[in-house]
Amino acid sequence: MAAATQELSALTLAHATVPGRLTDVSLTLAPGTFAGLVGPNGAGKSTLLQIAAGLLPATGEVTWNDRPLADIAVLERGQMAAWVPQEARFEFGFTVRSVVAQGRFAHGDDDRGVEEALAQFDLTTLASRPVNRLSGGERQRVLLARALATDARLQLWDEPLAPLDPRHALEVLRLGRARTRAGGTLLFSLHDLRVAYCLDVVVVLHEGRLRAAGPPEEVLTPALLHDVFGVRARTAPGLTLELP
Amino acid sequence: MALGVATVLLVVLAVAALGAGDLPLSPARVWAGLMRTDELAATVIWQIRLPRLCVAMLVGAALSGSGLVMQAYFRNSLASPGLLGVSSGGAAGAVIAIALGWAAWSLWVLPLAAVVGAVAATGAVVGLAHRGASTERLLLAGVALNALLGAATSYVLSSYTGIYERNAQILFWLLGGLEDRTWEHVLMALPILAAAAWLWPLGRPMDLLSLGAREAQSLGVDVRSLRRRLLGLATVLTAVATAVAGTVGFVGLIVPHLLRLLVGPEHRRLVPLSLVGGAAFVLACDLASRAAGGLRLGIVTALIGGPFFLWLLRRKS
Repeated sequence: MAAATQELSALTLAHATVPGRLTDVSLTLAPGTFAGLVGPNGAGKSTLLQIAAGLLPATGEVTWNDRPLADIAVLERGQMAAWVPQEARFEFGFTVRSVVAQGRFAHGDDDRGVEEALAQFDLTTLASRPVNRLSGGERQRVLLARALATDARLQLWDEPLAPLDPRHALEVLRLGRARTRAGGTLLFSLHDLRVAYCLDVVVVLHEGRLRAAGPPEEVLTPALLHDVFGVRARTAPGLTLELP
Repeated sequence: MALGVATVLLVVLAVAALGAGDLPLSPARVWAGLMRTDELAATVIWQIRLPRLCVAMLVGAALSGSGLVMQAYFRNSLASPGLLGVSSGGAAGAVIAIALGWAAWSLWVLPLAAVVGAVAATGAVVGLAHRGASTERLLLAGVALNALLGAATSYVLSSYTGIYERNAQILFWLLGGLEDRTWEHVLMALPILAAAAWLWPLGRPMDLLSLGAREAQSLGVDVRSLRRRLLGLATVLTAVATAVAGTVGFVGLIVPHLLRLLVGPEHRRLVPLSLVGGAAFVLACDLASRAAGGLRLGIVTALIGGPFFLWLLRRKS
């Protein structure tokens, strides 16, 4: 390994374009950023995440840690970044533990950090259950645990909070925050704009184009919310949930 | 553990297969025959029963291994080796070779024609689907080609009714069987061993692939190259098995399916187990077909496989 240099960006997209789905999106996330991706249905959030993960060919360039994705072999990609799909279909009844252990594939082992990942996502008691018998939220936690078991610095999650109950959603945000504090970078798509306010960076997509990216209070202005989402923003006293 | 049980079962079946026949041999005499200390037993075993046993085991391992690969590839536990036209292509090749009389030239012509047909059919399916990435396209192209090749086979069968022996030979071949297999057939089936050895270490990437191609890719599996390799191996396994034993159905569907129910879906265990279990299953079916007075192997596997499949369906619903 060469001497470690301070990377400027954990993830960069330069003029990423997929015809009909995403147009000329450029974006840079610094290491340690906890970032959310918002936008109406069909805005291109999943497409962007898949391009960033190197799973969907696009024109333009993607770099991880300032290295062009094209120069990184598939196995090494598996060590550097993890992508979590919006929903998983499990045909076969693998146990929860063995699915989480799949996260270790790129490292050539199948146990390091697996028990910790299971515990973090409250899966220890489910570890021997077949994964195709779980509820949607439980399946989502299995996928997230597998992603964290990879130890990848860059995490790309597609709507991880959607099927989760309030406590597990908060837990996932807490784990994400812990990861980014430790130098990891996390970009995930979400619909709950209230959650977006606790993130470092919010990226707004609209009709396949990047509309804005930056700290939530700067980006999520009433004008933008009206423009992009067609909603009027109003702060009002309401229910606030947090971990005990 | 399970692999040990399967291996013991296979050995027991093998001893039974070597002992059973017009001249029944006790296990002790089987051993004497194998060691060539009993001349009569040695002749029967080395010239008739042992080559048949080897072909049966290789064919079983090949069909079962190939079925397992297809099920992981298509992420569907109901996939079978013939999905992409390998079996029907092999059948068409063999049937044409028989009908035109080429098969009479040499022992090697028929298997060679079957392999050519099988490989050409899979090649055509992959080519027609155009992009290997989409499993749906592959499946649809496979369905279309299977129909076409079935029609071709039926046409040949119906238009050569005049030449009775050839027609009988075609029917005989289409029903699959292990009669009169020689050491040359064992030699023809040897590529199965090579393909099985290549398949052996692919268990873990198959696990990842069977839970989703994109997910596997993001976890570090080179999905494109893995898929190409799996498709190549499944094609070789089924093509060679079809070439030496005719079309034998259901093995590739039932054996991996049953083993998955028994030991779970992890391919690191399923790959070796399917190879050994498939060998044992075909050996058992061949024993049953011999006991039933020469019922065709393809009929026996279907007779056992059909009801089993229905039972599975009922169990699922």
